[in-house]
Amino acid sequence: MRHLLSLTHPIHLVGGHTIWGIWFIAIYGGLSVACSVAPPAPGRDTLTGINVAVGVSTLATAALLVWLTWACVRASRRAGVRRERFFGLVSAGNYLFAVGATLFVGYPAVFLPPCL
Amino acid sequence: MSDTKDASLTPDTRQLHEGLARVWANPRGLGALTVVNHTTLGLRFMATGAVFFLIGGLLAMLIRTQLAFPDNNFMSNETYNQVFTMHGTVMMFLFAIPILEGLAIYMIPKMIGARDLVCPRLTAFGYFCYLFGGIILTASLFLDMAPSSGWFMYTPLSSGEYSPGSGSDFWLLGITFVEISALSAGVELVVSILRTRTEGMALHKMPLFAWYILAMALMIVVGFPPLILGSILLELERATGMPFFDPAGGGDPVLWAHLFWLFGHPEVYIIFLPGAGIVATLIPVFARRPIVGYGWVVAAIVIMGFVSFGLWVHHMFTLGIPQLATAFFSAASMLVAIPTGIQLFVWLSTLWLGRPIMSLPMLWILGFLVIFVLGGLTGVMLALVPFNWQVHDTHFVVAHMHYVLVGGMLFPLLAGLYYWLPQVSGRMPSERLGKWSFWLIFLGFNLTFLIMHWTGLLGMRRRVFTYDTAMGWDIYNLISSIGGFMMAGGVALLIIDVALHFRFGKPAPQNPWNADGLEWAMPKPPTPYNFVSLPRLETRNPLWDVPELPRTLLEGRHGLATIDHGRRETWGSDPLTGKLREVVHLPTNSWWPLLAALSLAVVCISLLVRLYPLAAVATLIAVGFLLRWSWENGAHPKAAPDATVAPGQPPLHSRTMNGPGVWTMSVSHLANGSLYLSLLFGWFYLWTVAPEWRMPETSPLSMPLLVAAGLALTLGVLLLAKLVRRLRRRHDAGLRAGMNVAAALGALQSTLLIGVVWLAELAPTESAHDATLLVALLYVLIHALLGALLCLLQGLRVGYGFVSAEVPLEPVVVLRLWYYNLVVYWSLFVAIWVIPTVLGGAP
Amino acid sequence: MLRWVLGGGVLLPVLSIVALLIFAAPTGRGMLPLPLATTDPERIEVIGHQWWWEVRYPGEEGEPDVVTANRLVMPAGEPVDFRVTSEDVIHAFWIPRLGGKRDMVPGRFSTIRLEADAPGVFGGQCAEFCGAQHTGMQLHVEALERDDYDAWLDERRAPRESIEKGDAARAFGEHCAACHRVAGFPDELVVDDTEHDIKGPDLSDIGSRPTLGAGVLPMEEGAIAYWLQFHQMLKPGNRMPPHNHIETETLQDIGAWLETLAP
Repeated sequence: MRHLLSLTHPIHLVGGHTIWGIWFIAIYGGLSVACSVAPPAPGRDTLTGINVAVGVSTLATAALLVWLTWACVRASRRAGVRRERFFGLVSAGNYLFAVGATLFVGYPAVFLPPCL
Repeated sequence: MSDTKDASLTPDTRQLHEGLARVWANPRGLGALTVVNHTTLGLRFMATGAVFFLIGGLLAMLIRTQLAFPDNNFMSNETYNQVFTMHGTVMMFLFAIPILEGLAIYMIPKMIGARDLVCPRLTAFGYFCYLFGGIILTASLFLDMAPSSGWFMYTPLSSGEYSPGSGSDFWLLGITFVEISALSAGVELVVSILRTRTEGMALHKMPLFAWYILAMALMIVVGFPPLILGSILLELERATGMPFFDPAGGGDPVLWAHLFWLFGHPEVYIIFLPGAGIVATLIPVFARRPIVGYGWVVAAIVIMGFVSFGLWVHHMFTLGIPQLATAFFSAASMLVAIPTGIQLFVWLSTLWLGRPIMSLPMLWILGFLVIFVLGGLTGVMLALVPFNWQVHDTHFVVAHMHYVLVGGMLFPLLAGLYYWLPQVSGRMPSERLGKWSFWLIFLGFNLTFLIMHWTGLLGMRRRVFTYDTAMGWDIYNLISSIGGFMMAGGVALLIIDVALHFRFGKPAPQNPWNADGLEWAMPKPPTPYNFVSLPRLETRNPLWDVPELPRTLLEGRHGLATIDHGRRETWGSDPLTGKLREVVHLPTNSWWPLLAALSLAVVCISLLVRLYPLAAVATLIAVGFLLRWSWENGAHPKAAPDATVAPGQPPLHSRTMNGPGVWTMSVSHLANGSLYLSLLFGWFYLWTVAPEWRMPETSPLSMPLLVAAGLALTLGVLLLAKLVRRLRRRHDAGLRAGMNVAAALGALQSTLLIGVVWLAELAPTESAHDATLLVALLYVLIHALLGALLCLLQGLRVGYGFVSAEVPLEPVVVLRLWYYNLVVYWSLFVAIWVIPTVLGGAP
Repeated sequence: MLRWVLGGGVLLPVLSIVALLIFAAPTGRGMLPLPLATTDPERIEVIGHQWWWEVRYPGEEGEPDVVTANRLVMPAGEPVDFRVTSEDVIHAFWIPRLGGKRDMVPGRFSTIRLEADAPGVFGGQCAEFCGAQHTGMQLHVEALERDDYDAWLDERRAPRESIEKGDAARAFGEHCAACHRVAGFPDELVVDDTEHDIKGPDLSDIGSRPTLGAGVLPMEEGAIAYWLQFHQMLKPGNRMPPHNHIETETLQDIGAWLETLAP
């Protein structure tokens, strides 16, 4: 199992998107639940706890993914085997994409009210 | 080239060829039904898919005839609704997916240097499920009972109240049957690609096509179960009145939309990825240089595979979901442009940096590039919520979807057809007929669908059976119809070309396109065993780097070139490095797959005509056949009773603890887990969203019994884990007794669960809450029974000596099932008992 | 090579989608039913049925709703909130000239805000496939000046004179009234012997509507009687049972009487 944790293992090809996917499900599901349990008044527009929660989770997830991107690049630089360099680098690319994807998907929380 | 009779071969080699031919022979006559070979079954898949393509195409021509003129009386509205529903259904489920799977089944072992897929009998089973499901579904057309609610079958339109006939049942049962085939192919493709690549073919050295198929197969494994669950629930609602989708009973029709599109959007990429795989295979060959940016493509494939699961709600933008939620999906939909862009520019730069030559397959690739880019552009437009609200459900969407699917799938498929035809038949198709058919299809397609964007923007809704001349759509529809018939003419030419080439085509040279792929290194037409010997490869372009490979393979100068053991064998290798790990012995021709699929067909038909007792009996028979099939395994006389291998070779896989079977079980549980998560999703979704959901104050389920059942399961897992640990140390004393005790624990768990259901006094036809609980409990009950049954059989097999310390693989596989049951059981306990009890009944 | 892939494959799509998002964001926001600064917008309820439209103008407290069918009259020059739902299957409410569509889901209400800039007549149609007569589910939309709109609504809000118990009314009560409501129709004439519980369009102001059968026929003299005789040919599969068992003269009487129903 230990080699799965190494950042040059191909499992990290899917790591970024797995984190992104879990975050995505969490904000979508959380939004639905929050809107059915405690919908804020429409007059509050985007100034709601829901928007803040989406925003904070977006930034936190993006930060985690940025760190993983950097860690993968570093691991790839250090790796001795060509295969490990390859997977480290491609994984880093995928983590980077996940960073962008997180920010891009979370961004509408800035200008849209949550439950309308 | 009739290579096996090549005079220059030594007598030893000739003997090897004859031995291989004998062991791998496909029986003829009635015995042809027992064939399990991937080459034969891949061709059967593709031929059957082609027949369904023609049926779907015929339906398309009927649609275009009806819409050619305003107020046309060619078809009644009822017939038209059946026709367009079946056109979509046949093209999606009976043509696109199976034919691509057929291509993968045919091609993957040849590309990765294997002799067959890892579960040959499963291939055969999948084929028969597909064939029977397809026949049942299309039969509805001839019985005038075809489904007529559109290919995404929105409830309540497809429910018992608004579609009282058998149409929806044909769809739900037939499609689920066909999906069994998709799933089985998906599972074995994943395991084959990961575990049976030839020696030295590390993960980052395998052909891009294999990456694409790996992604497609994993997406099938994860993406199909939501629809299977949805179909089961809807069929239960139709047959027994459980109100999963009926708001009055606490259900919600939008749950169906979620489950359908949770499958339906990934489906588009499941179809596109293999198409892109063909493109990525052909472009380097005709650009005469290796692909640039292999790593970029791998990254793009992974990105696409994941992001495509984050898009499903963009089919539901108009359903009244909060705009912030739709914005998430809108943004995610636009993100797909990036991996698509990467692939597109990788292909373009490969062409740019290479020395491209024009040929018939290349013509189709260029057609693909044009059409698919246009489809992608309208796709980005549709991802925008405001624009989507305007054109959703109009002919604009119809046009977009055909650009994506025909561009992304049909054009690459036809490119692949012309490219690989010589590999299949050993003959070259006609250049002239091929060009004619390309231009007819290409121009006809654009005439039909480019215009249709405009018709849609003018407000023409999809699925209307006629329109008023006052709307001003006449000329556009007429042009679309003319284009449609042009395309049909092109398809007819194509069929003629392919049919003629088998007889009149010029014999093809060994490597007619000067390709790099391993599939060109074997005799043409291919022998059932693909390669006489399996090469050690450490290059992405085998035939460019080792041009003498066809010759040396044939002379048996590489690995696994023995046959005196009489087994069908291929390499089992490390998924990462491609180092050899075991010799995989493959099962031979068998009647069991056919019999199992036939009895499932009886189940399907008896459910259709509502003969439920017969369905129950046929289900038992099917389970019996499946278990009997599994009996011929391990050290069974029909499998591998004798474990001797040639000196220096790794052991037989059944003599190890981590053979491909363990992987197959794990990947199957990926599918199973996706089904389970969909069920959990349904439970929480209805709970939080359905307007009339009623949650009782206290859970109707007996906590002590639930916990007791869970403890029995947990004990069983602990016991099995201990048995496996002992096997790892080569101890099998007490194995049989242990298996029997585990079976008893499984039986105890099942009995307790039956008690839970009994005592709960659920009213599943009155409330969606009770209905969902019942389905969840039945799900764990079925798994508990299966776990018990498999342990019982293991005990018997230990008695017969098929399983022992020397043949330890099967208990490891069974343990995986029990682990799965453990996780599912306790998480379900939390979901249906703990959380409702803690939160209390919903208001 | 890297330049190509990076520039064309990454940079180009990223720039395009960011530009699109910037463009789409304000557009999408403008379509939200946010509270207005000054007054509440006009609210109209539209309910989908197989295969016709029920349109309701909610009354003030204690006041009954104004109900009509297959014709939507709305004020022009101001935003209107349409609250949509369905009685049976999923339909979609769409007036192409006014903007986007919204699905009508049974058991749920959802609101879409539309605005007609100027008075005029528009076509509306069901956009989500809803069964046999999806094609024949059209809506006639009229946007009126605010004053005209108020007048139109007041006419229909005014209490109805009770209806004379003539032969035609009796025939209507016997054959039609179980499914079709007419404001002010005497209860004692209603014969409810149907097994099905399908709701038909409210006919209180049918004489003033521009179309019949949800856009299948234009309204003109004799059109209703024609429709009553041949509706299963004009709109095959519609939910109204065939009238073969009723004398043609009776149908003509009912038709002529219905044409008089207008505020």
